[in-house]
Amino acid sequence: MRPSRARPRRLSPRDTEGLRLTTDALPVHVEGVSKIYGRTAAVRNVSLDLMPGKFYVLRGENGAGKSTLLRMIAGLSEPTEGEIQIFGSKPHDAREHMGYMAHAPLLYDEFSGMENLEFFAGLYGIESRAMLTEAMIRVGLKPELTRRVGQYSQGMRQRLSLARAVFHAPQLLLLDEPFSNVDPDSATEIAHLLAAMRNEGKTILLVTHQLGLLSKMADEFLFLSAGALVNREAVPQGGA
Amino acid sequence: MSQSLIKLTAEQVGKDLRLEWRSRDVLNSMLFFALLVVVIFSFAFSPTLEESRRMAGGLVWTAFLFSTVMALNQSWARELRNGVLDAYRVSPAPPEALFFGKCIGNYLLVLLLECLMAPLFMVFYNLTSVGPYWQLAVVFLLGTWALVVNGTFFAAMSIRTRNRELMLPLLLLPISIPAVVAMVTGTTLILTGESSPLTQIKFLGGYCVIFTTACYLLFETVLNAE
Amino acid sequence: MKSPFFYLLAIITLGLLAWGTYQALDVAPAEATMGDAQRIFYYHVPAATAASILFLANFVASIWFLWKRSPVADAIAVTGAEVGVVFFGVVLVSGPIWARYAWGTFWVWDARLTTSLILWLLYVSYLILRSSSETGSTSVLAAALAVFAAIDMPIVYMANRWFRTSHPQPMIGTDRLDPAMQKVLLWNMLAFCLFALLIAWFRFDLERTSQKINLLHIQKASKGAIAVVMPAVFLFIDPVREHMLQHRYMVFGYVAVWTIYIGYMLYLFAKLRRLHREADELEMT
Repeated sequence: MRPSRARPRRLSPRDTEGLRLTTDALPVHVEGVSKIYGRTAAVRNVSLDLMPGKFYVLRGENGAGKSTLLRMIAGLSEPTEGEIQIFGSKPHDAREHMGYMAHAPLLYDEFSGMENLEFFAGLYGIESRAMLTEAMIRVGLKPELTRRVGQYSQGMRQRLSLARAVFHAPQLLLLDEPFSNVDPDSATEIAHLLAAMRNEGKTILLVTHQLGLLSKMADEFLFLSAGALVNREAVPQGGA
Repeated sequence: MSQSLIKLTAEQVGKDLRLEWRSRDVLNSMLFFALLVVVIFSFAFSPTLEESRRMAGGLVWTAFLFSTVMALNQSWARELRNGVLDAYRVSPAPPEALFFGKCIGNYLLVLLLECLMAPLFMVFYNLTSVGPYWQLAVVFLLGTWALVVNGTFFAAMSIRTRNRELMLPLLLLPISIPAVVAMVTGTTLILTGESSPLTQIKFLGGYCVIFTTACYLLFETVLNAE
Repeated sequence: MKSPFFYLLAIITLGLLAWGTYQALDVAPAEATMGDAQRIFYYHVPAATAASILFLANFVASIWFLWKRSPVADAIAVTGAEVGVVFFGVVLVSGPIWARYAWGTFWVWDARLTTSLILWLLYVSYLILRSSSETGSTSVLAAALAVFAAIDMPIVYMANRWFRTSHPQPMIGTDRLDPAMQKVLLWNMLAFCLFALLIAWFRFDLERTSQKINLLHIQKASKGAIAVVMPAVFLFIDPVREHMLQHRYMVFGYVAVWTIYIGYMLYLFAKLRRLHREADELEMT
């Protein structure tokens, strides 16, 4: 199944870099995946494909397996059964093409915002400070801010976490409850940013309980219950 | 987009040192703990000079062992707070760089500790060495690495256990026994000037090589055991 | 499980244990210097051999697991470690009892004993790691630790050989052994290794069952429980009792050792009962 190529949007050169390598593959391909912990199956035989440039929201009750599934897609956890492919390769080999955000900020409290990004840039082999500055500006933070992240508000922390997830221009964004404990203004801004990124061609998979923000922006809702994928609902006329 | 292992390791060490300098929580508690240990041991054992030369090896290394375990328990705490470890695992950087960066950072911290504790021991026990001091330095350098490399590895393993702080010494001590035996006998031989500690030093060297290799090969497996 | 081979093995083991014990207590000549207490040797050494084989199985299974991630490998690994710790516990208990009589002291820090103690500690730490790690990471972490433990063993032995030579070296070995004693030893070796195999087989199956959570498997496992108890019964045969009472230390030895074996078997049965209950709950949902 090939994704449609006719898209009325401009892609920046950074966006297409990832696509050039993996044009024929879907961003996320999950086949028959289960995760079994001793006597419980957190995820049960889930299969799904995600199309490029779409915004997916993963919903379900507490303990339905959403975080577990997301972690497997991000490569943080190995499925007990089944296979996951990111752009045609194993998640472990496609790490440059994905960005991960969780409700924990994944940042060092003792560093400033820029210092954190500089450290992570080193992990991705990125030397250019310009990309980091741009990422920070985009999420609405001042790059020259020397305040330590430990003193940020939760909203600022999550914005910086988003900057950390996207500065290396990944084609796939995986977010696990990014809006918990975030003030409504920051949350709305982050949601708009994500929609804008989707419009640029990134694929987004987001787990959340707070639907109000996303009901208009998402392209499709995926429902997980007791570890199994029970329903998919496309939002008519997709994002804003 | 790939980084050399050495460069990444260096960045890791730099980051750890900078973070430690900013918060100084591990450093402060370690220094105070070291002082306490030396004082308590001085109360517990009050040997003559000749006796103390025989006992010092065991005493000193027991004290270092406790301090090392306490330092190592904290070694991954910073990565676990706020979930930074996940961010590392999701990045394309090789886990070995993270491991060696941590090891070297811990090594420097424990060496600093030893540099502070050793003179204190010498003062409290009125200790002087018959054998050459540079040999003592070699034993300390090798012995500390032996403890730290395994300790950092088992501390990473303990992340996924229920009683984290307890698991580390439980796993580390049995495995480290041969190294501790070599360290203690080596130190005693040097202090008393009885004979050359060359066998012990070679043994420690071999131990370090073997276990550093084992840790390097198995770290990624252990880190991703989820 | 519980193929007919298991029961066959149980019967053969029972027979061999009885034969071996009879040989050890009646047929084997009394040792020149140590008298009857020396007879502890006939179950001390076989237990050590069985334990070594089990630990080796754990090492091989751990490497296999790291390579292939097979649940069977994991089951063998935990079986090897757990049953090995039990048998090695027997070695560490019967040894000092014998030593107290033979040398006047319970323990001596020579190379072999120290290595044995450390080996036992390593595998106990392995079992503790298994029980306190999160589900999902247990097998991998334990396998990594097993590899470290295996690498450490030769190093420990060398360290103890080179660095702790200031202690007296009592003769423990089996060199200069009377051929009659050798025969008895070999019979007992065979008997106890089969006994170890029997218990390990049971434990392995328990682990596989626990892995599969299948009520039918559990029902089959319960029939096998009786067979494992059988070899313990031979202890109460009359001719055996006569010889045992001759020497205090031997009695202590036997009581201690069989307490360990029976204690472990009771633990396995308790585990089996728990599995029963869980399986019942699953059937009801």
